[in-house]
Amino acid sequence: MAEILITIALPKGKLGGEAVELLARAGLPVEGVDTESRQLVFCFPEDFLRYIICRPTDVPTYVEYGAADLGIVGKDTLVESGADVFELADLGFGYCRFVLAVPRIKWEEAGRSLETLLSLSRRVATKFPRVAANFFAGLGQQVEIIKLHGNIELAPQVGLADLIVDIVSTGRTLKENDLVEVASIFPATARLIANRVSYRIRHKELHSLVERLRKASEGLG
Amino acid sequence: MNNYNRHLQLPEGVDDFLPGPAAAKRSLENKLLGLFRSWGYQEVVTPTFEFTETFQAGQVAAKEELLFRFIDRKGRVLTLRPEMTAPIARLVATRLRKEKLPLRLCYVASVFRYEDPARGRRREFHQAGVELIGGTGVGADVEVVALAVEALLESGLKDFQVGLGQVAITKGVLADLGLEGEALAAVKEALVGKDWVGLNRLCEQYGLRGTARQRLELLFTLHGGRRELKEAIPILGVEAAREPLAHLEEVLAILERYGLGRYLFIDLGILRDFDYYTGLVFEGYVPGLGFPVLGGGRYDGLLAEFGYPCPATGFALGIERVLAARNGEMFIEEESRAYLVAGKDLAAALTKAKELRRSGARVELGCGISSLEEARREAAERGLNLVWVETV
Repeated sequence: MAEILITIALPKGKLGGEAVELLARAGLPVEGVDTESRQLVFCFPEDFLRYIICRPTDVPTYVEYGAADLGIVGKDTLVESGADVFELADLGFGYCRFVLAVPRIKWEEAGRSLETLLSLSRRVATKFPRVAANFFAGLGQQVEIIKLHGNIELAPQVGLADLIVDIVSTGRTLKENDLVEVASIFPATARLIANRVSYRIRHKELHSLVERLRKASEGLG
Repeated sequence: MNNYNRHLQLPEGVDDFLPGPAAAKRSLENKLLGLFRSWGYQEVVTPTFEFTETFQAGQVAAKEELLFRFIDRKGRVLTLRPEMTAPIARLVATRLRKEKLPLRLCYVASVFRYEDPARGRRREFHQAGVELIGGTGVGADVEVVALAVEALLESGLKDFQVGLGQVAITKGVLADLGLEGEALAAVKEALVGKDWVGLNRLCEQYGLRGTARQRLELLFTLHGGRRELKEAIPILGVEAAREPLAHLEEVLAILERYGLGRYLFIDLGILRDFDYYTGLVFEGYVPGLGFPVLGGGRYDGLLAEFGYPCPATGFALGIERVLAARNGEMFIEEESRAYLVAGKDLAAALTKAKELRRSGARVELGCGISSLEEARREAAERGLNLVWVETV
């Protein structure tokens, strides 16, 4: 078997599907690659390529340790991981935004003033404690951050938290749960990341791949 | 972590070395110290902890949360050393101040950082390194990079590469942008963090177009050898960057003539601790290991912090990282003959063992072995040659 030169970490889920489409558009082999299947490793020895399929939150870890040379991951996950990796391209797809949201009734109680709302709030539920902590530190606010693993919108309904920090793409989930967005924190799209060492010592191979993916992503999003 | 059996556990981020790995570590350290000594570097030992102020002048100054700090009974704040360069700078600026320059010093030491063990980092680890104090110009930089390459060779690594950067080029280009305060800090952070997306956004935000933008992109992407560097000179050649560009090219040219070309490449994106370093910087990489095994560079500002303005350069090599890169492969030590000496007369056994050791053999004493038969069994089990000492 030919030697695998480059390993790319792809996320499971919706972002993974779009990542595979991008790879195809860049002319990279994708035959049979399915980020939802039970198979987690896809090898293309003729192209010296290998894909590994990971949970989105694990993509930065595989890349940081050098188990994967490149990775495709949402900026939201990347920021939250705090991983020491190179961020080489904005791939354009997978758009979402970090927002601060609150139950409509609380927002009315606060007279639709963010300042009043924050002064009345103590606890924030989120899947992204690092992003939330940075946001509140930037505002000079001291809040208690509660880390949850999903369905954040539930927390304010049962009194676990006053506010939530979450990612939204269409805003439908917020609406369905009678939550209102009161501040936008930052937008996020899929990013191409690289391991620090791989990017230096396999520069030639990685650089041409990065350029192909960058070109293929232009005009997306 | 359970509390009831804490006496059996270790805190996160520290390690035991069992006999095999401990031997590999010691043998690596000895090889490196031997190499450094042969280049004229003298070993120094500094205390494991010092006043926090000593380290605040150094490389980790900006990362205070990495320090292991504690308070002594006089209320002073002490710190476990997070690196060796600041203590050596202190030593040079005080007790070695009268020595003729350049001074060549080296060390092997454990260092302590409050890192996240879940991210591939340890809280106590070992470094071997050199500091060339008072050496300036191309000569000193060439020496230290050449020694770094030879240290990696001596460590038994084969596929490694050493990347050279020059932070003075980046500093010159940045100064020429006409940005200030937050804007400058943000552009710098994007360059240091290799955040291409962020850099592009900042270029839009601060209206950096044309040559300015082209320069920043080149700082980000320039990778290769002397040809790539030469091609970049007309674009990067702002006044403040011209001299460091020529310097980098000359260093590489000399090292190529010395025959190290195949281990070296240039990457202007290598910035290490950008504010701390002042000139040539370099990192050693091994395929498959996600972190550099070695790093160093010129830090002409540090000794002035200790009241002794003086140029300096050096590097440190991560012992654990080299051992990991070798994938458990040990150096094969020449195995000397090994004996088990036993007998009823302990004094006679001790005497016989001493004789054998003098000839270079490794000798174990048979403790509590009272019969020849038992001694034979023991020696066979442990793969030792038996010497049975008869009672006189």
